[in-house]
Amino acid sequence: MHKGFTRKFKPLEILTQEQVETIWSRALDVLWVTGVRIEHRKALEVLERNGCCVDYDQMRVRFPQGLVEESLRKVPSSFRLKARDPANDVILGGSTVHFTPFPGMNTVDLDTWEPRPPTKQEFIDGVRVLDACEHLGCFGSYTPYFGYQGVPPAMAITEGFALQLTHSTKAQFMEGTAAGSDIFNLQLAKALGVEYCGVVACSAPLTYYEDQIDGLFRYVEAGFPVACGGGHVMGASGPATFAGSLVLDLATDAAPVVLCQVLRPGTRTGMGDIGFAMNMRTGSPDFGGIGTSLHQIARAQLCRKFNLVVGALACGISSSKRIDFQCGYEKALSVMTAALGGANLIWLHGGIYGELTHHPVQAVLDDEIAGMVGRFLQGIDVNDDTLAVELIEQVGPIPGNYLATAHTREWWKKEQYLQKFTDRLTLPEWTAAGKKSALDYAKERVEQILATHKISKPLTPSEEEEVQRILREGYDYYRSRGLL
Amino acid sequence: MGEEILQKLKQSVLAYDQTAAVDWARKAVEASIDPLRALDVLTEAIREIGEGFGKGDLFLPDMVGAADAMKAATPILEAAIERSGGKRETVGTVVLGTVYGDIHDIGKAMVATLMTAQGFKVLDLGVNITAEQFLAAVRETRPEILAMSSLLTTTAPEMKKVIDKLKSEGLREKLKVMVGGGAITESFAAGIGADGYDPTAVGGAVLARHLVGK
Repeated sequence: MHKGFTRKFKPLEILTQEQVETIWSRALDVLWVTGVRIEHRKALEVLERNGCCVDYDQMRVRFPQGLVEESLRKVPSSFRLKARDPANDVILGGSTVHFTPFPGMNTVDLDTWEPRPPTKQEFIDGVRVLDACEHLGCFGSYTPYFGYQGVPPAMAITEGFALQLTHSTKAQFMEGTAAGSDIFNLQLAKALGVEYCGVVACSAPLTYYEDQIDGLFRYVEAGFPVACGGGHVMGASGPATFAGSLVLDLATDAAPVVLCQVLRPGTRTGMGDIGFAMNMRTGSPDFGGIGTSLHQIARAQLCRKFNLVVGALACGISSSKRIDFQCGYEKALSVMTAALGGANLIWLHGGIYGELTHHPVQAVLDDEIAGMVGRFLQGIDVNDDTLAVELIEQVGPIPGNYLATAHTREWWKKEQYLQKFTDRLTLPEWTAAGKKSALDYAKERVEQILATHKISKPLTPSEEEEVQRILREGYDYYRSRGLL
Repeated sequence: MGEEILQKLKQSVLAYDQTAAVDWARKAVEASIDPLRALDVLTEAIREIGEGFGKGDLFLPDMVGAADAMKAATPILEAAIERSGGKRETVGTVVLGTVYGDIHDIGKAMVATLMTAQGFKVLDLGVNITAEQFLAAVRETRPEILAMSSLLTTTAPEMKKVIDKLKSEGLREKLKVMVGGGAITESFAAGIGADGYDPTAVGGAVLARHLVGK
């Protein structure tokens, strides 16, 4: 099992208990008074039978408070995701923290910083680099890229998922649904003994389209976990205020949780926060803004009221178009604050400019951030051995020192995080080594991975054949619907 | 008195006040102010907002708020123009919408506002617009420009469908096609046979003027 990291101290809380109760209370009010638009006849009927008030003309569902709270309490507080290699299974929930990649629509040229669609080989290389990242717990949707040159948009998610499963044995946290892609993703997962969280994404504000709810029914029927959410952009598809945004978020995400729990009580469900403020100059989400961190910490705190597994999806990216100082500080700040705030799953590896660019070199740099943040979360052990009182007595004042002691040899590596691909040299060493930067080291590391990395469990010939059969079925399906 | 009403009308747009814009437009009509002049004042106001946005002094909520105030007042003045038998001079007409399967509105709304500021008459069809709806609007209004938006890679191919339909109905050569949105690139635009693409709303509005030779 990939253990990830365990936060050994209380999560950072920025809301008072009274504020937590108020925000939840208003979210429940929204669910009852305003309701949620769910464009799915069968879902409306199921929810009506379970006590919701349904307006079929408006496709609007109003959820009674008792049903919502009862449903949220049925959600398991932690659950396991089965990877293709059991050594890579992950458990989500409680105080565990895992890192996952941030996908991008494009790759980016490291000399010109121009984005462009990746080739299929670059997609595979991206998967292999992520597989080699020590601190990456699981893959996410559209990872590393939304697609690649030549793949039809309708098959991009499924083809990408097949490549992830072929070239990595890491766990799969989630896969999105678009126009029925979950039909084939579920088949792929089952064929290879994998479980993933199916994403049911809202279209803010307060709307779920038919394909998302179709996916929810299929995930629940298959016994797969479900990741509810999708978020909104503050000031555009949600309120500009943090409190209002949190109210809208909770109300939106609770709706599919209720549906999951009435369909199959105890369905493993997570809630992900992908809320950004809007950049009011450009209309884009404000990637890397500190406001996102406030939102994520508050959101995680609110989810702990019901012990829900919570993902921080809006962190680990930047508004910078390059791998540079801005990219580094925006990513590191947002990831550290999300980790301190109690998120169980944190988006990080490879993302550069929002969801628009991803690069394996950035993923290697991010693995250092993950390692450093993870070490921080493990806190400080205090026991007789680490207190070292006997040693302090033994060494005494100058000329005593600690360098040659067995205690130092035993403990220093355990206590510190050893960065592997960043500059830790003295100035003379750095000069002699060619004045390399972290970016240089990361590029070298990527080359090394691509030259030497082997996955722990390649697909067998029969598994490969089954993957190809499912893909052919997918192409037939979309061709018959005029989408190819 | 007439000038004071026009100033109040302009100020109502600059203050993002829809109610005031409607009131002052009505007062302008009641005072027999030339509705064409009143419309020019609205355009001046939205141009000032657009310039403020371009300089970085104003932001999207300001632009959308001003556009909404202008949109609220415009029908009152247009009705007065029609009654008087006059005709509004514009740079051209733009039919605009987000393609089928895509419900993203904000970027397209920005472009609509900035095109209005550039002197176009803009018919914003909204979001999730099918090829047939685009074609119907083109047949009805005979615009100089058809502008389509798509944020999603999965819906961008809809643009080509629209262009193909324009060709099959013999309408393609009668207008310019602009495309934009997060999913669109210059090469994609060229590949589907669009006449113009710009990655920004401000640039898109300027491009529209170039496309109509103004």
